[in-house]
Amino acid sequence: MAAAAERRGRHVGLALISPALAIVVAFFIVPLAISFALAFRAKDGSLTLQHFDKSFELYTTDLLFSLAIVLLSSALIAVLSIAIAGYLTLGENPRAVAVLRWLYRWPLFIPFVVAGQLMRTFLAKNGMLNHVLIGSGLIEPLQAQSLLDWRGIVVAFVWKQAPFVTLLVAGAMASLDRQHIEAARNLGAPRWRVLWDIVLPQVRGTVLVGVVLSFVTMLSVLSVPLMINPNSPTMVTVDVAYRINTHSDYAVANALCLLSLLVAAGGAWFYLRHAVKGAETKP
Amino acid sequence: MRFRLFTTAAIAAAAAFVAALPAAAQTTLNVVSAGDQNMVDYVNNYLGPKFEAMNPGVKVRAVGTGPGDSGSQKIYEKLSAQQKAGTAAWDVDVAVVHQRGAATMVNEKLLMPYRNDVAAGKLVSRDTAKNALGSNVDGYVLPMFHSQIAFAYNPDLVKAPPKSYAELAEWVKKNPKQFGYNGVKGGMSGVGFVMGWVSANSGLGDKLEKGPYSAGDKATIEKSLAGLKDFNQNVVMTPGNAGTLDMLNRGEIAMGPVWVDMFYTWQADGKMSPKIKLSLPQPGLPGQPMYYVIPAKAANAALAKKFIDLAESPEVQADGIVKQFNWYPGIDPQFVQSKLPPADWNKLFTDISPSDLAKYGRPFPLSDYFTDIVEGYERVVLK
Repeated sequence: MAAAAERRGRHVGLALISPALAIVVAFFIVPLAISFALAFRAKDGSLTLQHFDKSFELYTTDLLFSLAIVLLSSALIAVLSIAIAGYLTLGENPRAVAVLRWLYRWPLFIPFVVAGQLMRTFLAKNGMLNHVLIGSGLIEPLQAQSLLDWRGIVVAFVWKQAPFVTLLVAGAMASLDRQHIEAARNLGAPRWRVLWDIVLPQVRGTVLVGVVLSFVTMLSVLSVPLMINPNSPTMVTVDVAYRINTHSDYAVANALCLLSLLVAAGGAWFYLRHAVKGAETKP
Repeated sequence: MRFRLFTTAAIAAAAAFVAALPAAAQTTLNVVSAGDQNMVDYVNNYLGPKFEAMNPGVKVRAVGTGPGDSGSQKIYEKLSAQQKAGTAAWDVDVAVVHQRGAATMVNEKLLMPYRNDVAAGKLVSRDTAKNALGSNVDGYVLPMFHSQIAFAYNPDLVKAPPKSYAELAEWVKKNPKQFGYNGVKGGMSGVGFVMGWVSANSGLGDKLEKGPYSAGDKATIEKSLAGLKDFNQNVVMTPGNAGTLDMLNRGEIAMGPVWVDMFYTWQADGKMSPKIKLSLPQPGLPGQPMYYVIPAKAANAALAKKFIDLAESPEVQADGIVKQFNWYPGIDPQFVQSKLPPADWNKLFTDISPSDLAKYGRPFPLSDYFTDIVEGYERVVLK
């Protein structure tokens, strides 16, 4: 009797998740499987590794470049978001905290493609940034250089993703027990020590999750590298678009996608390991 | 009482809706266009309203699929999917596509031959109406316009623009970081420059455009690209077709390859300094037409033919294509010139004379050579 009820409960549960499951299967698992199969299929239908050979022959630099850009951006995002969230939690000037709290979220609402377009005029050789630097006497006109290369991509990524991580981290910091912080301050610890030794260890998990989510997001952005630096070396997303658009070569594009999926899977593994650990240690 | 009132209102609303139906039941002509936003603007703001005024009850709906060959690729994929699904009436009536797309679509029987069914079909004269990158498209296409890549330069900084690729290479050595182009992944003006470079430096010349294709030429192509790698040390890579124009306008580069029509449109809109000029070096730079095509099972094929006939008429080619959008006409220029005041006609040929255009305006290489050249570029220049 109890077993039957339990079985029925399980069926109801399955029925409840089936719409979501169907969407995941139809729009994610199936296309992924097709993409996987096409990456290994030659024109005559036989199995082959030639598309991977071509990917490595032409795009090894771009794969490494993408990884380096995304890792560097992730590191900068971590530093920046900890600094901002830290000030929001520990700052003592209420007006500065309020202004910062209001300001930092703006990039969250701006799509990547718009961020790319903003950076394109902001970071150009005769763009707004250099005009300001020259106007304020910080650099000579001849020293002005265009930042529209790997640096432009990093700036756009950090500008766009740091607020997202900050939002998560600031939330986690706000929910900490303030007694620890106040005790440390009473014993004379400077604010950076409180941040480093008291606050950060307690929100480490949130920082990691935020950074990993940003890592995976940035890996898949096409618009920013396409608008800022579509020339070599560039990010793999540009190469995928280029293989499809210029060569209608879905095979190599799929091979490249699988390779970046491997990199993203590294992030996912990290995320799952941490999320599972977090769930287990919670009461 | 209240309930009855509600029912009455509902019935009245339904009746009104049914009564309104015949008025709303009009034919929609779906025009799907590859290319930049200006192509969609052209149909929505200019050609569509004209056609609707002449054909009451017809609504022209234009949709853009994006710039470059990828735009045509999307149209190809849509038609191909409808073909494979066995759909009886396809939901694209007129498509505007690039040469590569048109060649693929003709080969896969996705298009309907129509040139002999429209009066304006007799007005086309250029080879591109029959041949798209080596594929026979005779009868299936009519060029909407021709577009051309040329060097744009700032005459304050460049007194005498280089007349050939050899002169350009010298000039770039003397003036490092003053020439900019957008590589092969950032748009066709950069791709066109690379094609012109190979054409000038490989010795293959006409063979690239006329064939016959031989895979053995890969080595020759890659040898000519090795020179481009050195050349690239002294140039600026720009972010896209518009990126080159932006950098020219901001004075960050002094010269670069651009699409002529984009250049003129930017000048007309005040986005580009009126000082900047154009030149075409020998042995030339490629240009390409955009084609009007009708899908094999277009739902409104008869209307589509009528639409294209209007679009190819000398009046529309003169007023729309040349005067308003700064493109070179798709039909033979002699039919267009007489419809325009000389000032408007000459504006198109201020910097590049019709004879230079005829000599140095080249087609893109054959599809196979095209692939060899861009892949060669990735293999040799980008490494």
